Amino acid sequence: MNPEPIITARGVTRRFGGLVALDGIDLDVPRGVVQAIIGPNGSGKTTLLNALSGASHADTGSIRVGGHEIFRLKPYRIARLGLARTFQNIRIFENLSVIENVKVAAACNSPTSLFNILTANARHRHSEADIDRNAREALEIVGLAHRANDRATQLPYAQQRLLEIARALASKPNVLLLDEPAAGMNMTESMTLLDTIARLKNSGITILLVEHNVRLVMGISDRVTVLDFGKKIAEGAPSEVQRNPLVIEAYLGRRHRHA
Amino acid sequence: MKPPKMNSWPILAANIAAALAVPIVAHDGYIIQLLNIAILNAIVVLGLNFVTGWAGQINFGQAAFYGLGAYTTAIATKAGLPWITTPFLSVIVVMAASLMLGLPTMRLRTYYLAMTTIGFGEIIRLIIVHWEPVTGGTSGLRAIPGISIFGFGPQGQIQHYYLLIAVLLLAILIAARVRHSVLGRAMIATRDSEIAAEQSGVDTVRTKLLAFMIGAVYAGLAGCLYASSIRFISPDSFSGTQAILLMTMLIVGGMGSIAGCIIGAVALTILPEALRFLGQWYLVLYGLGVIAVIVLAPGGLASLASLSQARRASVH
Amino acid sequence: MGQLVVNGLALGSIYALVALGLLLIFNTVQIVNFAQGQLLMLGAFIGISCAVTHELPVAAAWAITMVAMALVGIVFMVLVYFPLRGRPAFLVILTTIAMGIVLENLALIIWGPLPVSLPSPVHGPPLRFAGVVVSMHQLFIFATLAVTLLLQFFFLTKTRFGILMQATAQDLHTARLVGIPVNRTIAVAFAFGAVLSGIAGLLVAPIFLAEPTMGGSLGLKGFVVSVIGGFGNLPGAVIGGLFLGLIETFGARYISSNFRDAYAFIVMIAVLIAWPRGLFGEKSSEKV
Repeated sequence: MNPEPIITARGVTRRFGGLVALDGIDLDVPRGVVQAIIGPNGSGKTTLLNALSGASHADTGSIRVGGHEIFRLKPYRIARLGLARTFQNIRIFENLSVIENVKVAAACNSPTSLFNILTANARHRHSEADIDRNAREALEIVGLAHRANDRATQLPYAQQRLLEIARALASKPNVLLLDEPAAGMNMTESMTLLDTIARLKNSGITILLVEHNVRLVMGISDRVTVLDFGKKIAEGAPSEVQRNPLVIEAYLGRRHRHA
Repeated sequence: MKPPKMNSWPILAANIAAALAVPIVAHDGYIIQLLNIAILNAIVVLGLNFVTGWAGQINFGQAAFYGLGAYTTAIATKAGLPWITTPFLSVIVVMAASLMLGLPTMRLRTYYLAMTTIGFGEIIRLIIVHWEPVTGGTSGLRAIPGISIFGFGPQGQIQHYYLLIAVLLLAILIAARVRHSVLGRAMIATRDSEIAAEQSGVDTVRTKLLAFMIGAVYAGLAGCLYASSIRFISPDSFSGTQAILLMTMLIVGGMGSIAGCIIGAVALTILPEALRFLGQWYLVLYGLGVIAVIVLAPGGLASLASLSQARRASVH
Repeated sequence: MGQLVVNGLALGSIYALVALGLLLIFNTVQIVNFAQGQLLMLGAFIGISCAVTHELPVAAAWAITMVAMALVGIVFMVLVYFPLRGRPAFLVILTTIAMGIVLENLALIIWGPLPVSLPSPVHGPPLRFAGVVVSMHQLFIFATLAVTLLLQFFFLTKTRFGILMQATAQDLHTARLVGIPVNRTIAVAFAFGAVLSGIAGLLVAPIFLAEPTMGGSLGLKGFVVSVIGGFGNLPGAVIGGLFLGLIETFGARYISSNFRDAYAFIVMIAVLIAWPRGLFGEKSSEKV
């Protein structure tokens, strides 16, 4: 079991004009854990995720994922290195079917060339078969296999969130970033989600979770990192962090600060 | 390769049979020639579908690629080169042009992309119009040699018709293959959510560029066939107005749908001829019609057709 | 050469006016109106109908044209903006292009394809100095641009309604939420946008003559100017317009007049490659 953290970030800083969204964040995420990032609105959680996934680059800092330096790499390169994410606002591919959505990501591991596509040769057929298999497996994990051929837009909201997770899984990531996966879900749906995340953890994927739902966070996380004003103010086991006075103050004392 | 929807085979077969039967029913050479132009337009629109319908990149330069293919072919054959070289020459010219246009513009947003592609089309048209010794200027080029491979070639409109149908079928086959492949899904993903596509491992810039180039190649080859079968070309056939017309064929037919491309191209090639008696009013009604389709049926005619089918789960 | 400068600036002023009309609409509803050139053409022909066909005094023709164009702008808004609210930009582009086609062909039906002239509202001998001739009409063009800019600036920043329009331009939804009569401000934007193009048409016709297909190329120049200056940026549009006018005039004289129209696009592409947000930066930016 590799003792090195799978994510090592040092001094990650991001400014938007005069606003400092991330202020020299250091982060270590051990392999195979479920780590939650929490904090009041505007503390920089999504900005941090965006920096990690390449969606919106940090200004300075170093970010290593699985041994590779990914600072300022294009998102698709980061994805191919084994980091996948879901989005706070659902971004499924509306004009593709459920399984096609997942296949897009599955292609990460089954590259093919235009020549192969045009000639429909054996290599292409194998590649498509692999993609199909990976996609169905991912759908099985989140329980959407029975809707594989439906149009993605036909799924209800909570299942669309699960579809995003399936899509992220299809690229066979080592690290999965989940951005508020339980947003808009009811109690039953959140519990299903919690189960799913637990199963993913058991399969060896490291999960980084940005979430407001306290029950979910406490129920599933091994570690919790708390951000406030772009700085890390606490880190540790969920129970410790819950009792940390700085954390309590950040949430309660500044409830009226807007995002 | 995932096969197309099972219920589309009979429809496809019926369409092919109908298409093959047309010359038996309609003897008028004028109608056949019109259909030939419609088929060529359909190929160009199929190409446009890669770029705009699937990859979501607005492109008003497609007519310019059409023209580049046509003029390359006409100039080459009139200069004495054997016809067999013209498809290759057309593809080379068009790929070079699409790279020149595509590389700097792939990162541009909608409006800028629209204007840049319009500008590109205009520049090509101006070059064609003013390079008279080579392109014949506004009068165009006449008496272009026809298709000839080892001395054999189609004679008369009807033989051209069958040849073009065959080429169209090949174009459709390739498009369907791309659609149900990694590349096709990547294109549509890029259009639906570029950020999510990137995060899923799609190199969106490369995908857009590929879509652009494939679209250009379709148009270039169609242009090559246009020059060799219609035997007369002029800048008017490849102007900015044509580019707009191609785009409306795509939209009216149904953006993103292979069948839609064909429907749109055939409909909007035949309509102006059928409604010739309306004179200038045709264009007024055409403009209003396009607006009506966009507002009322943004999925185009193809979506109206599929509404009447039972609601199938899979996407076209 | 000084003459080229004067001619270039006069031409550029007209381009700037087209761009201003375009940007007024864009800043308010985020729509690029690809029929802006046809609106210019319409303005020219309404003016011609009044002044030439019905032999009204030119000043009256101008007044009637401006009112008519304001109405046209509102009709345009009803046909194009309301049905397409919330639709992807690409479809809006196609719709405005289609409107342009409708207007152009209606003009061909009503007024025929032959070029017609329009008298200038000003008369008198041209100014001569330093070897340069400036016609009264050219002076009038400069004056119109200056007056338009001043009026627009004053209206947008100093009057209550103008400030409401700016608010709508910045954030339509919030503006509606706080009770700003958003539909009214949008109507005013469309009306003024059309009027500006109409004025440009009235200024162009005395120099270059008017014919129904004139809209396409002039409209495109308007977009190019907007891009060069940075979309949404009004001062940028003016500077961009003057700049383009100069480039075209000098290019036509020293390089080739055949490719006159191409210079605009070449400059635009060059600017976009070097400064993807225009020379002066865009007004609005996208959220990630």
